[in-house]
Amino acid sequence: MTLTSAEPLRATSRRGGFARSPAADRLTRFAVIAVTVLALIYILLPVYWMVKSSFQTSFDIRAQPPHWIPREITFQAYKDMGYIIPIWRYILNSIYVSAAAALLATLIGASAAYVLARFRFPLMTLFLVMILATQLIPPITRAFPIYSAIQAAGLLNSYTGIIIAYAGFSLPFSVMLLRGYFMNNCPPDLEEAALVDGCTYFSAFWRIILPISLPGLAAVTIFTFLNAWNDFLWASLLLSQGEMKTVQVGIGDFSAEGGGGRYINLVMAACVTATIPALIMFLFVQRWLVSGLTAGSVK
Amino acid sequence: MERQKRLFCYLMVAPAVIFTFVLGLLPMITSLGWSFLEYDLIRVQQTGTPFVGLENYKEVLSDGRFVRSITNTFLMTGLVIAFAISLGLVLAHVMHSNYRGRAIVRVLICAPWFVPPVVAAAIWMWLLNTDRSPINALLMDMGLIDSNIRFLTDSSTWGPFSVPLLSVTAVRAWNGLPFIVIFILAGLQSIPRDLYEAADVDGGNLWHKFRYVTLPLLKPVLGVLIMLLLITGIGHFEINYIMTGGGPQDLTNVMAVYSYLQAFNFFRFDLASAAGGVILVLTGIICALYIRGQLKNRDDR
Repeated sequence: MTLTSAEPLRATSRRGGFARSPAADRLTRFAVIAVTVLALIYILLPVYWMVKSSFQTSFDIRAQPPHWIPREITFQAYKDMGYIIPIWRYILNSIYVSAAAALLATLIGASAAYVLARFRFPLMTLFLVMILATQLIPPITRAFPIYSAIQAAGLLNSYTGIIIAYAGFSLPFSVMLLRGYFMNNCPPDLEEAALVDGCTYFSAFWRIILPISLPGLAAVTIFTFLNAWNDFLWASLLLSQGEMKTVQVGIGDFSAEGGGGRYINLVMAACVTATIPALIMFLFVQRWLVSGLTAGSVK
Repeated sequence: MERQKRLFCYLMVAPAVIFTFVLGLLPMITSLGWSFLEYDLIRVQQTGTPFVGLENYKEVLSDGRFVRSITNTFLMTGLVIAFAISLGLVLAHVMHSNYRGRAIVRVLICAPWFVPPVVAAAIWMWLLNTDRSPINALLMDMGLIDSNIRFLTDSSTWGPFSVPLLSVTAVRAWNGLPFIVIFILAGLQSIPRDLYEAADVDGGNLWHKFRYVTLPLLKPVLGVLIMLLLITGIGHFEINYIMTGGGPQDLTNVMAVYSYLQAFNFFRFDLASAAGGVILVLTGIICALYIRGQLKNRDDR
């Protein structure tokens, strides 16, 4: 009865557990690598094709079958893209409306997020549900009344109209993100100390919470900026005239009307140009992506 | 003190609540209201907007194009979810494990994230251009096809499937993939390492670890993710609208595009609102489930 060796124990655990097989692992690894390589081609081919096409001449780009590598590299498309789409003007429009909306949404969103994170008060759950529901339900279900209201207010094709609209649509998003941020990163003893010292609730928020939350506020501002920058639906409804279009509508309209045809290298140059500001903004916040997402939704 | 605190709370949330109400809830309700009226923008001067009950819903639901767009919406959303989540599970593991060059692989996988949806649509339209698509050239060289695939214009169908439907689905999955990968990665990072060590002791191989440790623990994360993708998928608009405008022959038409075209091409705000109403009800149900789950989690914490 002195079965002290580990042998029988391992035997039982093996029977109840799994059969170890390095061959199976090798197969799994091989399959994962194969899928990853195929996936990377799927992910990167369009990006490569956009960049490649934007450096081709308009003759080279029409070759059949297409050239995988351009015969000669030229910046001509970047010089000429202004002829088909006033791209620089559109980019300035986009930057202006997106930045204004992002700042407005962050300011309004931060004050709401702070009290929703810190205090409990009647109707609080109702507010949260309303904010979450507006964030989730697709925009098309409210597009027509908003269009009519903005038109009735005389704000159709004005920057003010779209800035208000964008700020409104980004608000739920910034409230949810900032609420998570305040809950995780701002210890309540900070403003408790301030309150004991005779600060009002508002000055505690304004003088203590906001300054120490600047990194979070900056990240959320950039996220909301990107939301507005990427939008097509609202800009195509509310700001569709001539020089005032945003860059997404400029490119979207051009593509939907027939996709550039022989000027596709110019369109691709415009696409690269429209992606670069998003890329720069994205680099600022990419560190935040994982933690920001989880704070908002997973936990 | 208590009253002062409560006043402060309401003053702080007021701007956000008013904004969200005026630009969110109110227009949603208004749109739902319009779906019970006759609201033809061209004739509204003469006829006004009389109440017609469920007439618009009857008209929309007996329109073959709308029925087609419902099928397409669910088909495309389902395909995007199945394809992008399966791929996302593999890629999230690739981003999670340790090896040389991981940083580069991470950046490459996330590349489509910063590409705006409109730009994504424009690039893919060019990439899938029948005569000049590198994909056609490649398949041709390999001898797999003998005439170019018409990715966005081929109107032959197999049941509810068609080439344009699959092409647009692939673009939507492409655009959503980085978000899905990062979302799953966040879930992976919350799984304690010792569970895998326990599986090692039991002699589990990689597949076993995935099947019996990772997948069960990822279930809540995947549940939330699928709900989010369902909601955004049912209301999806821009990629379908820009790439095909719902064509050819409505093969890629989805509910949001149908609704938009009713309003701004045919000026039928009533039919557009009825189509929007269908989207609202469908997504509303999923939202309610999602929000209930979120609030319950908050209370548990």
